[in-house]
Amino acid sequence: MTKSSYLPGLKSSLSRRTVLRGIAATAGVLAMPAILPSRAFAATPGSNPGKYKIDLGGYTGPELTNAPITLKIMRQEFPPEVNAVLQAQYDAFSAAYPNITIQEERVPYGDLPTKVQVYVTSGSAPDIMMGRNDFASAYAAGQLTLPLQQFLSADFIEDVYAPLRESATIDGNLVCLPWETNPVYMAFNRDIYDKLKITPPPEVGEFDGGWTVEQYMQNFDDVTKALRASGDTQTFALAASGYGNGGPGSNYTQLESIWVRMMGDPKAAKDSSTYNTFMGVSEDGFTASGYVNTPEAAAGLANYQTVFKSGYTPTGVVPDQFRGGAAAVTFSGTGTVKRFLKTGQPFNFGMSPAPKGTIAYTTTVADSPTIYSGTPYPAETAALLAFICNDANRFAFHDAWGSMPVRKTLVDALPEYASDQRLVLGTNVADNAFGPPKSVGWFDYFSAINPAVKDIALGTDPQTRLNDVATQIDGLLAKYK
Amino acid sequence: MKFPSWTGNPTRRGELVIGPLMILPAALGLCIFQFWPLGVAILNSFRAFNPFNHRPNGWVGFGNYQSVLADPSFQSSFWVSLIYMVLMIVIIIPSALGLAILLDKRMPGTALARGAILGALASSEAVAALIWNAIYQPNSGLLDVIFQTFGLPSQPFLTDGHLAVVCIVIMTAWKDIGLPMLIFLGALQAIPPHLFEAASMDGANRWNKFWRITLPLLRPSLVLGLFMTTIAAARLFTPIQILTAGGPNGQTSNIAYFSYAQAFLFNSPGPAAASVVMMLLMLVVITIIQARALRSRSGI
Repeated sequence: MTKSSYLPGLKSSLSRRTVLRGIAATAGVLAMPAILPSRAFAATPGSNPGKYKIDLGGYTGPELTNAPITLKIMRQEFPPEVNAVLQAQYDAFSAAYPNITIQEERVPYGDLPTKVQVYVTSGSAPDIMMGRNDFASAYAAGQLTLPLQQFLSADFIEDVYAPLRESATIDGNLVCLPWETNPVYMAFNRDIYDKLKITPPPEVGEFDGGWTVEQYMQNFDDVTKALRASGDTQTFALAASGYGNGGPGSNYTQLESIWVRMMGDPKAAKDSSTYNTFMGVSEDGFTASGYVNTPEAAAGLANYQTVFKSGYTPTGVVPDQFRGGAAAVTFSGTGTVKRFLKTGQPFNFGMSPAPKGTIAYTTTVADSPTIYSGTPYPAETAALLAFICNDANRFAFHDAWGSMPVRKTLVDALPEYASDQRLVLGTNVADNAFGPPKSVGWFDYFSAINPAVKDIALGTDPQTRLNDVATQIDGLLAKYK
Repeated sequence: MKFPSWTGNPTRRGELVIGPLMILPAALGLCIFQFWPLGVAILNSFRAFNPFNHRPNGWVGFGNYQSVLADPSFQSSFWVSLIYMVLMIVIIIPSALGLAILLDKRMPGTALARGAILGALASSEAVAALIWNAIYQPNSGLLDVIFQTFGLPSQPFLTDGHLAVVCIVIMTAWKDIGLPMLIFLGALQAIPPHLFEAASMDGANRWNKFWRITLPLLRPSLVLGLFMTTIAAARLFTPIQILTAGGPNGQTSNIAYFSYAQAFLFNSPGPAAASVVMMLLMLVVITIIQARALRSRSGI
């Protein structure tokens, strides 16, 4: 997709109404300095205190309207203390711009992608919708979101960790704004390991300095046997997934793909099965067969299946299992560290890199707000988003929620990310993690593979199920060609 | 249609206006919420769509039907839909009838039992599914704990395809049994007591009375209960979504869930609409077969 074809108003099928709107918008823009002196553009990009009524972070667009408007936000539900932080930010924005009312809708995290899809289909979506960087290709191809670089300064965007920024950028357009990240690595309960007299995973700062998948599997086995031998049937070696809506097959992008893509290698020959395993989808993003169902991928999911078959982890959803002290290890991230440090750790814990396969692989997925392309108030919406993402508001959010900032200057300003091994590892993982496979049909891919992964977890033959789902995904992606 | 007596009768002439006006809200509701969506679904089943914004962008004739019929997931969903119907009818109708007969006896605890059954009926389908999801959970669920207490192995309630279908039906039966039970109870209480007294005088035992009096007189209610259960089984969605999300291996996905997945998970509104139309046709055929089979016996 070219840059010009992405821009709103330049869709291939131009209607008379679109042309008239375009003419009117152009005339409006040309006349704006004369008729609306208050909507002066910011003189320079970058930090803007003093240029607007409040600190709008990286926002460089026009001053906001004086007309009464309502901006709608749809995001995931957070715990009350985090909701309160966001509400305070809305209140501060509305206090500075009393003409702007903010309405918020909260949905369960796992339902966000579907909810975005439903809203877009309706033709009347909230101005800001919480998206994810793994759906960036679809946002761009469907022209669902506004390119954000037209409203945000270049240095603000450059400040975002490169893997996240690149995954959210399609054809030069920043189609969503990564705003927090939870690079995935391992948290372990030291008390359980001490009690069982088993060596815990290594506490290192390097993202590739951890155990191999075989070492982890052996460790899970040792822990499970020791727990059962002690009569403990409620504690598990590996906690049930808390990603997505929880349990097996919860969130392929963020969690289960680790088991698969660690078996690949981006540096292998491009026609090799190992390379394809890492890629997950063909270069054009339309073919999964030969990528998601390679022997290496099946081997990776066979490992994943073993953790369920051997009873290392529960086969259902167990909320807060690790936090409740009922699991020795969990896939987690900086969020766990920060929350434990803030609220008081319920037990001694440590952090270690994710299991290694052919490569040290982990994912970088970020919740990323988008601005709906159909919003009638693009500048005001961008300003609100930028306000929520200014330094002070981000610090407040991350302090309450515990996730890791996506901007380097924010991380650099937090000393614990330089001194605490558990967080140093997080920053190294964030720097070296990989984005999801890029396909305009990633939502279909994601929706198809999650149940397949769950089936495999619960006992279906990995290779057979992967072959089936690869065929299914090929069929689903065909409509995007 | 002619209304000669109305046009000739000045006092009833006003009904020509008021009558249609009174049914207008219901007719409008039907048109807006039933027939219009149905018409749109039928139209959409012949259309192609932009997968990003789901707006129609052309006509594909029977292409959506061809792709859906060739899809093994749809074929599986079709058979699973039939299995749900059969299981729900087999479980709900006799159970509802049995419960209605018991409640009709006015034994001690009848009010409590009636309240419990109606409470389940009144509860939200999503809430009921969440409760049963907790009950079915491996290791920590109520059923598994009971099994463990008796030294029985843990059961894969929602992770074994066959067992999961049964679990979904049981949950739905628990939730929905109240309505047919109420219908049967009403019909039971409408049976004149003198028929049973006469039968007793003729020496009929309990079974004869049930078989020769109760059941024939309940037949209209049974037909109604059968139709309602069939339609409820075909529309089964929430328990599937919450308990299994169609898995494992699509073994609990019926046509309703297949349609949902096509529309909302796989960005394919055309095939989704085609599958909805096919579900509707399937229901029409089944209902006609049921109506004919029962009418031939009862004359209803």
